[in-house]
Order: sequence, then structure tokens, then C-alpha cells
Amino acid sequence: MKNKVIVAISLCLCVGLVFAGMKIFDKGTSGEVDPMEVYGCDTLNVYNWGEYVGENTIEDFEKEYNVKVNYTLFGSNEEMYTKLLGGDKYDILIPSDYMIERLMNEDMLAPLDLSLIPNIDGLHPSVVGLDYDPENTYSVPYFWGSVGIVYDTTVVSQEDVESQGFNVFKNPKYAGEVYLYDSERDSFMMALKALGYSMNTSDLDEINEAYEWLLEVKEATDPVFAQDEIIDGMSTGAKALGIIYSGDAAYIQSVNENIAYFEPKEGTNIWSDGMVIPKNSTCGLLAHEFINYNLEYDVAYNNSDMVGYTASLEEAKTALENGTYDGISAYQPRENYEDDEVFRDNPDMKTVFSELWIKVKAAS
Amino acid sequence: MKLFSRLVHPYVVWISIFVLAPMLLIVLYATTTSGNGTLTLQFTADNFIRFFSDELFINVLINSLEIAVITTLICIAIGYPAAYFISKMNAKQGAILILLITLPMLINMLVRTNAWIGILSDNGVINNVLGFFGFEEVKMMYTRFAVILGMVYNFVPFMILQIHASLSKMDKSLVEASNDLGANRMQTFLKITLPLSMPGVISGITLVFLPAVSSFFIPKLLGGGSELLIGNLIETYFITTGDWNFGSAISLIMAIIIMFSMYLTKKVDKGGRD
Amino acid sequence: MKSKLNLRKVYLTILMLFFYLPILYMIIFSFNSSKSLTKFTGFSLEWYESLFTNSTMIEAIYYTIIIAVIATVVSTIVGTLACIGLSKSRKILKRFVEQVNQLPILNPEIVTAIGLMLFFASLNIEKGFLTLLLSHIVFCIPYVMLSVAPRIRKLDPNLLDAAMDLGASPSYALVKVIVPQLMPGIIAGALIAFTMSFDDFVISYFVTGNGVNNISIMVYTMSKRVNPTINALSTLIVVTIAMVMFVYYIFDKKSKVEKK
Repeated sequence: MKNKVIVAISLCLCVGLVFAGMKIFDKGTSGEVDPMEVYGCDTLNVYNWGEYVGENTIEDFEKEYNVKVNYTLFGSNEEMYTKLLGGDKYDILIPSDYMIERLMNEDMLAPLDLSLIPNIDGLHPSVVGLDYDPENTYSVPYFWGSVGIVYDTTVVSQEDVESQGFNVFKNPKYAGEVYLYDSERDSFMMALKALGYSMNTSDLDEINEAYEWLLEVKEATDPVFAQDEIIDGMSTGAKALGIIYSGDAAYIQSVNENIAYFEPKEGTNIWSDGMVIPKNSTCGLLAHEFINYNLEYDVAYNNSDMVGYTASLEEAKTALENGTYDGISAYQPRENYEDDEVFRDNPDMKTVFSELWIKVKAAS
Repeated sequence: MKLFSRLVHPYVVWISIFVLAPMLLIVLYATTTSGNGTLTLQFTADNFIRFFSDELFINVLINSLEIAVITTLICIAIGYPAAYFISKMNAKQGAILILLITLPMLINMLVRTNAWIGILSDNGVINNVLGFFGFEEVKMMYTRFAVILGMVYNFVPFMILQIHASLSKMDKSLVEASNDLGANRMQTFLKITLPLSMPGVISGITLVFLPAVSSFFIPKLLGGGSELLIGNLIETYFITTGDWNFGSAISLIMAIIIMFSMYLTKKVDKGGRD
Repeated sequence: MKSKLNLRKVYLTILMLFFYLPILYMIIFSFNSSKSLTKFTGFSLEWYESLFTNSTMIEAIYYTIIIAVIATVVSTIVGTLACIGLSKSRKILKRFVEQVNQLPILNPEIVTAIGLMLFFASLNIEKGFLTLLLSHIVFCIPYVMLSVAPRIRKLDPNLLDAAMDLGASPSYALVKVIVPQLMPGIIAGALIAFTMSFDDFVISYFVTGNGVNNISIMVYTMSKRVNPTINALSTLIVVTIAMVMFVYYIFDKKSKVEKK
């Protein structure tokens, strides 16, 4: 009998293997350009966020340049950074602002040759020369946006949200309806902003006040600390109020018309994710081509159209504002608002924030 | 049989390279001052002191142990009868059932857990069914109940497989002898079957309890941050905070406590039997 | 006797419902016309289509299966042999191996993952297929050994002597006398090893590289946004295996009838 079990298992495996064996026969080379000759390499290792690219962006790049792209994904900046510490070699990374700054500070990035990226001229003015990289020496923005409040207008009053800002999460009226990010960075940003402080503060008193603020939120509305479940939960109306990245809000708004997005008056986090080339990349020329390619109108348009995050290319952003994302407020992040800030890398405060955040979560 | 004892030697080499060497790195991190990627080799006990001087960390550890114990007990309660029943069936039906129990484990844990979210949430399947019959909505998602349910769902197949493996092909003559000697079914079960299956139960406990203590996705997804477990703590320190030294120290403390308690259990177990 | 049979049936049916409720849910939502995993908006095959046009995903399926098969075979053989050897070893070695063996099960995956990642990095081994496979074997073997060990303890020590006295060579005695006795444990161990390898994310993520991904890595990194493609894939896995089991069942029944 046991032999038969083995037979059964191996049968399963065989069928599976045949099924999997149907893989990729189709990668024929067009054979016009020899990438080895032009770029000195024919494989590009790209490391990007999950679900963060247009449907055919990578495939088209492979065809156009006759190269192979190893496209790998990460779920958070920190995950990506950990993989880098493990000695992994990539040619393109697309981390967020503060992480780019950290990589710059730790001398892990190669300076860009902007003459190889002529499309950089088309960048939206809001993302050119950000504080951490004023001359775009190391990074070229890919997507950008804000962090804001997402709410279901049939349950939450617009007036409450707009008058209370982030303090609406402390409104007992909405107990049980609140999603927050399970992230110390986003939570302390929200708390510090609600209290009128800079989110890049190193002042321990302010940080402690923010900690108290978060405890009050927990007490008042018993929020669920989640990650990407917020997207589905808000789209289907499981809960009615939450904090969110503008790009995800744009998606939610496009599937649920009752959803509104609001950037609090106290100011919020304006973020961007940028393309950078790590120092240990051995395929720099092709990496520059990849950066430039992503700033071509069609490519930038398709990426942003697919994902819902705001394009860094001005032309693509304008087209989508009047096209796919017409009437979707979250697609257009607030610009030039004086209380909005960009996250800076602050290695000394990391431990303080995470310890306090653990305490917030452990509090009952 | 010295001949056969040599079979283990390649494996000793293997674990020394692939289990002990990486673990040694973790021990080094736990006993040195901060420095990711590069080891500082400045030895310190600070990481351990930090853990034990904060009530918070100890509470998290206790909470994790508590949930793991509850999960393990439920898994035995559900798994033992299942394995027992399956072992009583004819061999072929039993084999099919065992495969059926294993099959869901091939589905990605995130997918399975997402399905549970859909089933348990406030506007989910169960609450819709309850509502249909006029019952009140029950809050299940983001509670300890959801976390334990998710863990039991994930780990109970291990328990069933282990107990079933020790029950199947059991020497039937023992049971028959016991019956012939006038024992009733209950007596036979308690005196013959149960003791014979004990090694399987212990293997099952190991396979459920150990991963349950350190599990991290399930409490994160089903607990919604309401259940902070030691696995989440370690993950936070390794990835988010990037403090590998403290993360290593926490996992080392956990490993030592659990291995020591397992060792004690075995000692007591053996003592009882002698 | 009748009532007991029913109790058994009722119990196992409820258990199967518990096991397959989420699976059923997952299958239903693989046909959802919207991206949501909690609200069914209509029937569509969109996610199956996007599964088959996604070459990275198909590559990931391929790697997952190859790795799981090799890791299961290797860890089952090595684990079983090591277990047999261990039963005849000195107490001190036995205790040492038993304790060390618990580490990969006990340690949070992230710890094993970082440990292995640093280990490979410090030896300058380029990450990819090989490191992924080695790591999977590392964490699979303890599961096999834990499954085989209880059977070994029950083994009659005279059995081997008897076989050898009757002139069996050690390897013959091993294969024909000992291994069959251990079979239930070996099968349980192999099943667990296979599922552990098939569904591992954390360790795989940190020890792989060079574009080698498995299904779990795809799932976790894709789930930045909700994506039912993975439900479609999971459904196909369930259906494929269920079909194989069904065919086997029918085939087996027939062959038995013929024998009679």
C-alpha cells in the first residue's frame, strides 16, 4: 500500500513537472544588437517593489535592447536593504527617499551620468532635486505621492476628516472602523504631524508626546494595524477610515466611488521612490538606459496607468490626470505646501521609534 | 552495530556546516555591539540585559508561549482522534485521506490566510451566514481567536501525520491479545494503543509547538497587530529596525528557554517510564 | 459497531470541511472579476489568463517544483539514514544531533534566513539556485528525522541481527528489513518536507538571487496590492493534484477488479 502512496505522489510530481516544463521556450533573440558589445553585459538585475510596473515594461525593454532582465521584487525598503547587506548584486534599485539617502550616506550608490539620461528633463518639478539629492547625482524619481486619510463618505463625515486631520483617528465615533499602517515610520509621521511637529524631529520630548498620541488613538478607536489589507478592506467597505499612500488610494477610488482622499492641513509626508544604481553594479551603461527608458512617455504612462501611483514624468502625469485617473483626487498629490515634508534618513532615532512602536502595539 | 552508526557521520558534518555555522554567526551578533553586515567583535552582554530589564519583552515572550501551548493542545485534541480514525480505516482510504490532509499545505500560506480573513471578517462568510439566520454579528477577525485558529489550521496536519505514522502498522496482535484477555475497548486503548503512539505525539508536539512559538505571519495577518508575538518582535528587529544584535539576542534567549524546557520534559517523561 | 462508524465519518467529514473551507473560498475568488479577495463581483477568467501570460510566474512554478522534489528526495534519504545511524550511535552524539536538529524548526525563519544569508555571503558563494536548494535541504532534514525517529524507537533490535545471521549483507538488511519497518514515518517525513519546501518564503527570499524565484516569493512580493492571479495558480495546483489522486483511485480499483 505504501508503495502505491509513493506511486501516487510521484505521479503528482510528474504531472506537475510536465506542467512546469512548458516554461519559456519563446525567448528568441532578435539578434540585431549585440548588447555585450554595446554595454559590456547582457543581463540587468532590477530590484523593485512588488506590483510596481506596467504590464509589458520589462518585456519590451528586453526586446528593445536584446537583453535579459532579472526582475526581483521586495515588499519594504528595509527588506531590500537587508538583501543588499547579504551581498546581493543588482544593477537597478527603486527604493524610497530616506532609503536612498541612507544608501548615499553609506556609500553604496554609484553617481549617475545624467548625459546618458536625457529624458530627465521631463520630470515633474515637484520631484526634481529633492532635499536628500539636490542635484539628482544618485537618483531619478520613478513614482511619487503623499500620505493621506482615506475614508468612506457614506460612513465618515467629510467635515470631521477635514477639520480634525489625523486627529480623526482619535474620534471615538469611528471606533472599530480604523485601519492604520503597521509601520513605525508612517505612524510616527502621522502623530508628529497631528501635534504640529516635524516628522524628522530628534527631540525626545516631541517623540514621547507622539507616542502618547498613538496610545490615545489605540484607546479611542481600537484600530487594526495592517499593511496592504487596507487596500482591499477599504475597496470593499470592510472598514471606513484609514491612513494610506496616495497611489493606493487612487486605486481604491477607481473601484469604489464612495471613497475620498484627504491630505491633512497639518501637513503630511511627500514621498518618492527613485531609481538608483548600486556601486557594485557591473552593468552601469545598460542601467542608465533602463532609467532613461522608464522616463519615456509611453513607458512612464503605462507604468503609472497600471499601478495608480503618480508618474514622475510630468507629461505622463498630465495625460493620466485627464484620462484614466480623471476625477481621482489621490492621483494628484499636494504640491508646494509648506507643512509637507520629505523623510530624511535618521539612523540615531531608528531604535527609539521602533521600541516605542512595539510598546504601542503591545499596549492593551 | 557500529557499521550503521557510521551512517550518521555525513549528517554530523552537514549540520555542522549548514546549521551550526550560521547559528554561530547569530550567537556572535547576539554577544557583540551594534554593527550590521560587519561584525564588530566587541563583546557585550547588553543585548541580554536589555531584554530581561524590560517587562515588555518578557510579556511578549510569555504571550507567545501561551498561544503556542494553547495551539498545541488544540492540535492534539483535534489531531489524535483524526489520526486514530484514519489508522482504523483500510489502508487505501487512509492513504487518500492523509494526502487530502496534506494537500492544503501546498497552497501558499498567505493565500490560505487571506481566505480565512474573508471567512472571518465582520462582513465575511460566517457573519453573513449568522446574519441570515438572524444572529448577531460576531467579531472574530483581529482577535486572539483568529490567531489561534490560523495556527491550528496551519499546524494540525503535522500532528495528524505524526500520530498516524506511529499508529499505522501497529502490531495488531497486541490489541487482539488485550481484547482476548477481557479488556474493554477503552482499557485496550489506554493501556496499549495510547502508549504505543506516544512517540508520535511527542514528535507532533515538537512540530507544532516550536514553529507556533516563533510564528510571525499568522499573528500579523489575522491578529492585525493586536497580538504581538516573539516572532514579530524578532522580525521587527532584524528587518525594520535593522538591529541584528538585539534580534539575535532575542531569538537566542527564546531558543535556550525552549530547548531547556523540551529537555526537561523529556527527562521527566523518561523518569516516569523507568 | 455501526454507531462508531458513523462517529468516525461525521468527525472526519467535519475535519475535511475545516481543511477545505478556505480552499473552496480561494477557488471561488480565483474567478472573481475584480481584484478583491473579499467581495465577489462577477465571474471571469481574467486571473487565469494573466497567470499564463506571466513568464516570471511560470518560471517560479518551475523552480518551486524542481527544488521541492530534489529537496524532498535528498532530505528523505539523508534524514532516514542519519536517523538509523543515530539509533546505533553513542549517547552523546545522539543528544548533540537531536538538539541541533531542533534549531531550524525552533528558530524563527528570519533567523535561519539571515544566518544562512550571511553564511553564504561570507563564503562568497553566489546566491541562486544552488544556495536555495541547499537551504531547503537544510530545513527539510530535521522534519524527516523527527518523523522517522518514533518508528526507530519501536524497531525490534533483534530484527537486524536475525537478518544478518541469515546471511543478509548490511545494505540488503537495511533496505529490505529496516526501511520497510520505518516506511510510515518516512512517508510522513517526505510529505512534510515537500510541503515545507513548496511553501517556504522567508528563508528562500534571503538566500536566493540572480532572478531565481519560487512561487512563495512571487506571492509575498506581489501582494503589495491584492492579486488574485495567485488564487488562480493555487486552484490549478489543487485541481491537478486532486485529479491525479482521482485517476489513481479509479485505476487502482480497476486493476484490483481485474486481479479478481
